[in-house]
Amino acid sequence: MMPWNRNNRPKPEPPVELLTPQALIGLLAALVLAVGPHARELPVWLTALFAAVAGWRGFIVIRNQALPPRWLLLILATLAGAGVLLEYRTLLGREAGVALLTAMTACKLLETRSLRDGVVLVFLGYLLVMSNLLHSQDIPMVAYLLVVIVAMLAAQVMIHRQHAGLTALAPLWLAGRMLLLAIPVMLILFVLFPRIPGPLWGLPKDAHEGRTGLSEEMAPGTISALGQSDEVAFRVRFTSAIPPPNQRYWRGPVLWNFDGRRWTRIEELPSNVPAPFTPEGAAVEYTVILEPSNRRWLLALDLPASLPPRTSMTASFQLLRNQPVNEVYRYEMRSYPHYRTGDLTAAERTHGLQLPSRTNPRTRTLAAAWRQRDAQPEALVNTALALFREQAFYYTLTPPLLMSRDSVDDFLFRTRQGFCEHYASAFVFLMRAAGVPARVVTGYQGGERNELGGYFIIRQADAHAWAEVWLEGRGWVRIDPTAAVAPSRIQEGLYAALPDSGALPFLLRRGGNSEWLRQLALSWDSFNIVWNEWVLAYGPDRQKEFLSGLGFGAVDWGEMTVAMITALSGLGLAYAALRWRRRYARDPVVRAWQRFCVRLARRGLVREADEGPLAFVERVTHCRPDLAQPAGEIGRLYAALRYGPTISPAAVRQLQQLVRRFRA
Amino acid sequence: MRGQRPSNDPVQLNRRRIYILPTRQGYAFALLLFVLFLWAINYSNSMGFAFTFLLAAVALNSMWQAHDNLLGLILHPGCAEPVFAGQDAQWSFRLENPDSRPHYGVALQWQNRPPQYVNLPAQGSATVTLAIPAERRGWLRPGRLRVLTRYPLGLLQAWSWVEFDQGGLVYPQPRGQRPLPAALPGSAGSGLGEQGLGSEDYAGFRPYVPGDSPRRIAWKTAGRADQLLVKCFTDQARPELWLDWRLLGIDNLEPRLSQLCQWVLKADSDGRQYGLRLPGLQIPPGHGAVQRRRCLEALALFIDSEGISRRHDAVEPEQPAQARTAG
Amino acid sequence: MATVLEDRLDLAIRQVGSTILGKEHAIRLALSCLLARGHLLIEDLPGMGKTTLAHALARCLGLHYQRIQFTSDLLPADILGAAVYERQRETFVFHPGPIFAQLILADEINRATPKTQSALLEAMEEGQVTIEGETRKLPDPFFVIATQNPAYQIGTFPLPESQLDRFLMRIQLGYPNAQAERLLLEGEDRREVLARLPACLTPAQLHEAQARVTGIHAASPLLDYIQALLTFSRQSSHFRGGLSPRAGLALLRAARAWALLHRRSHVLPEDVQTVLPAVVGHRLHPSEDHLEQSTSHLVERLRAGVALPL
Repeated sequence: MMPWNRNNRPKPEPPVELLTPQALIGLLAALVLAVGPHARELPVWLTALFAAVAGWRGFIVIRNQALPPRWLLLILATLAGAGVLLEYRTLLGREAGVALLTAMTACKLLETRSLRDGVVLVFLGYLLVMSNLLHSQDIPMVAYLLVVIVAMLAAQVMIHRQHAGLTALAPLWLAGRMLLLAIPVMLILFVLFPRIPGPLWGLPKDAHEGRTGLSEEMAPGTISALGQSDEVAFRVRFTSAIPPPNQRYWRGPVLWNFDGRRWTRIEELPSNVPAPFTPEGAAVEYTVILEPSNRRWLLALDLPASLPPRTSMTASFQLLRNQPVNEVYRYEMRSYPHYRTGDLTAAERTHGLQLPSRTNPRTRTLAAAWRQRDAQPEALVNTALALFREQAFYYTLTPPLLMSRDSVDDFLFRTRQGFCEHYASAFVFLMRAAGVPARVVTGYQGGERNELGGYFIIRQADAHAWAEVWLEGRGWVRIDPTAAVAPSRIQEGLYAALPDSGALPFLLRRGGNSEWLRQLALSWDSFNIVWNEWVLAYGPDRQKEFLSGLGFGAVDWGEMTVAMITALSGLGLAYAALRWRRRYARDPVVRAWQRFCVRLARRGLVREADEGPLAFVERVTHCRPDLAQPAGEIGRLYAALRYGPTISPAAVRQLQQLVRRFRA
Repeated sequence: MRGQRPSNDPVQLNRRRIYILPTRQGYAFALLLFVLFLWAINYSNSMGFAFTFLLAAVALNSMWQAHDNLLGLILHPGCAEPVFAGQDAQWSFRLENPDSRPHYGVALQWQNRPPQYVNLPAQGSATVTLAIPAERRGWLRPGRLRVLTRYPLGLLQAWSWVEFDQGGLVYPQPRGQRPLPAALPGSAGSGLGEQGLGSEDYAGFRPYVPGDSPRRIAWKTAGRADQLLVKCFTDQARPELWLDWRLLGIDNLEPRLSQLCQWVLKADSDGRQYGLRLPGLQIPPGHGAVQRRRCLEALALFIDSEGISRRHDAVEPEQPAQARTAG
Repeated sequence: MATVLEDRLDLAIRQVGSTILGKEHAIRLALSCLLARGHLLIEDLPGMGKTTLAHALARCLGLHYQRIQFTSDLLPADILGAAVYERQRETFVFHPGPIFAQLILADEINRATPKTQSALLEAMEEGQVTIEGETRKLPDPFFVIATQNPAYQIGTFPLPESQLDRFLMRIQLGYPNAQAERLLLEGEDRREVLARLPACLTPAQLHEAQARVTGIHAASPLLDYIQALLTFSRQSSHFRGGLSPRAGLALLRAARAWALLHRRSHVLPEDVQTVLPAVVGHRLHPSEDHLEQSTSHLVERLRAGVALPL
């Protein structure tokens, strides 16, 4: 380089690259699409603010007006931040985070003019897409977000002024194409990228809020509140014979403590082997696909006899995972519907007979009277069930409120209208007062069969509470007092049992005008189970299971990484080969010729780019007289096939054969 | 320069000369992906993983696209009008796209100046103009040019180096406050000049330069010779303006040439008849665009007798040699 | 049948070769030029056998042959003919000029004035002449073999570019090699040999050969190659202007004839490359930056600059 070419001037400031109006409009559209689904959970004022800002920014672009002054922006940002703080009392939670992200995006929109601002907005847009996924990973939502991603990518293409030659729709096509081409790589990464069980650090308190479902305690009204919910709690696929409805008790938290109104758990040390019991009869094998519950316990049929990975079991047969279930979780289980448990420990006896002192005096008196008559536990159980069956007890979703410490008294002697928790609570109280160890078990009962998918859907409305009493010689025995009042609840489900079932959501009803809609929803659900089971439930455990199922044996991280890199390279090679083939010889004649040339090139006889076949072969013959015969034949045949008027398949085959046999 | 000798043939960008690296935006995007990944882990969000991986795959795919956006493009050697030192030479390069699909956002960049972007239609071409500062007189070669693209997402930059042998002429910077020297009466040997109407003594022919009066053209000889000749007349009364190196007592070479350049421009804009004398070279008086160009070229390519400055091969010997014989 | 024709063509080449020794390539080029219905320009110094070649070709192909020696005082009428008043018949009678022959040897065409040159060239282009308002067809086949001394000799009127384009090929004969020259010196008088040459082709066979040329197959990759040559000539900085579409057609036609002479039913890129110097040599002009490049250099650059399509 010549000395006077050297540039010693100070480096010139790169000029600000302004966004084109088209790029801004595209970006606005993509961001509006990304924020859209959040409108459901964002405060109304914030949604309105975002819409207003987006509209304003669009107006500014179209009318080519000036951006708002900086101080206005500062005020707006401060107000929005303060609003979020007031609304959520924090800036750190998940909800507050999304709100803050939306507010930030709105403020950034108002100062966006350059390429760099555009890039920041696109990145914010991707974060918004992600935050949407935290709320829902349903198929419709994912499909919608794919559209948003395409719009976002198109906006990212458009913000680069230098690509402005693109026509209006070209960025969308381009983005769509890029997305399609990216999918194979994405799939490989999705399947093989070693998954780390989260979370890596403490999550905000509200990280997984908003889940309905069983809680760890039970008071009058807690389960009936779920009765209206058609949300899916979990789905089950039986691999063995399907147990009858009256054996489909899905065991959840076991409650021991009673304070007169509320049942709560006690601390039980979980063990990493299944609690022992004596099975009687055949096992039931099944797979559970659990929806996120933000709870540690897993549900299993009475009584569970196996443990999914990273799970332990308490002595009262509760499954506990070491982390709350915040993703769709799939596990395989084995249970025995007929069983006999062992002896009662002293601690269990104490807990199983615990009663709050000086509450529910009338119930205690009744129990004492029964005990006087017949102290046999079986007789006491029957007496209690007979009470529910024969007296005027009603099964209802909307029982009168019971707020006092004497809730059992109130229920047994005054209101006599209740949901399963009322019956279970009263029954266990009666048993304990009569000296029979008993406990409350919550969980789900029944479930609806999806004929299309051949699996069972258990909804929140199927939440249930029942009792277990300890009987000498038989161990813990399940007693469902609700069955005494409303046997159809157990056999046919909630809808059949409730006199006021017209108020239920249509998914929980049977027959009637909305039946077709329900059937449609069930067909849709059979898609969902595949999605849930194979895609959403694909976590660290499922990944290991899947890969070992493919015959990799037990895989560790390192092997997975190797497999991933191998697969990616394979894909890259396949892609490169495809491009090579597209760019070069599709024609078998040319391919054969190329192979011939490559063989000669390895021996130093390189065909010049402008050298015709006969000329090349002549040169080859000159340099290597020993090759004269085969090379001459190949050259003449190739020339005739390539440039001649007709191509006979036989001649093509002959050329290929000659080339295959050719050894330079 | 990386084994590619500069020449003046068009250069087609091939696989081996295309390089690719992330831009600052690309690194920021990688950071974004990392954040999304952590987010997906923390919330055990399956679709979050899928989304993160999808974006990563898109970024990977954009690498191919950026590469393909340059592949096969043909850059033709550029050209530039002569400029004065200190100005920017405007170099025009033609980029050609032999592909049957358009290429967007391809740029040429000289050193670290802002790149100039163009879009190339399918089987079409576009011209890119680069402003290259001409710092010193003589032949200016732009040197290495960067052909680059950030298409499609701006995350990656693919580029290739191209160098051409072609140079553009840079005249000295016109500078100096001295007034034009006084015109002298025509001296022997250089007394051929043109004059107004009514001149008398026919003195011979000289080649036509644009701006000569058609009346002075020797039409009779026009048929025989391959160039137009103009009749010249001696005119002792008409003073001649000689822009002479020796008139300047400046020590340094460059200021001297600058002053001479300034004088040439002044004389030319005044419409004067002027000649130029440099050591070992003399351009007879003349006027018009051709005279101006000849003088400026002589100044641009002048090598002083001590041979301080220029590389020899850079100088086209033709012009000065002609001028010497003409004087 | 086909082989008969090709044998006759081979025979013609051998016969012409026996009069002009050691110039087989030039003879083949000349013959393929005629088979492609193109006119030929031979550019060389005097005494290299230009006239002999033309004469031999005419005899071998059995053509009616006329030679016109171009001089600076030659008038168009001397070529085309003129209407002369005949007293006996009291009418103007057209006396055809030497152009009404099947093969014309226009010797030293650059000695004539441009006016006379253009009279010949127009006739070549149109295959007919118009004299005093009356159009007369020229015989078929009609070939012109023009010879020209290299243009830098004094007192010549070099053919302008536009006129050069009318010749399908321009060839040079060059000096014979030592062996051929020795034979030439030892052998008998060329004129006698010429006079003895029998015609190898009947007019019908010549016609058939010309028809066969147009039927030679040109595959799509070959046309791609020709197009690439044309494109390169237009884009490269070495050439001024580049080749015209007519040059492309000429190239294809000449290559077809060349392929026929080599008993092939299709054109190969080698055929194009072989006829390339003869066909485009007089149509390519160096750009201002490459004035020093000779024509053969230019053609070589064109050939080397274009890769064969795979």
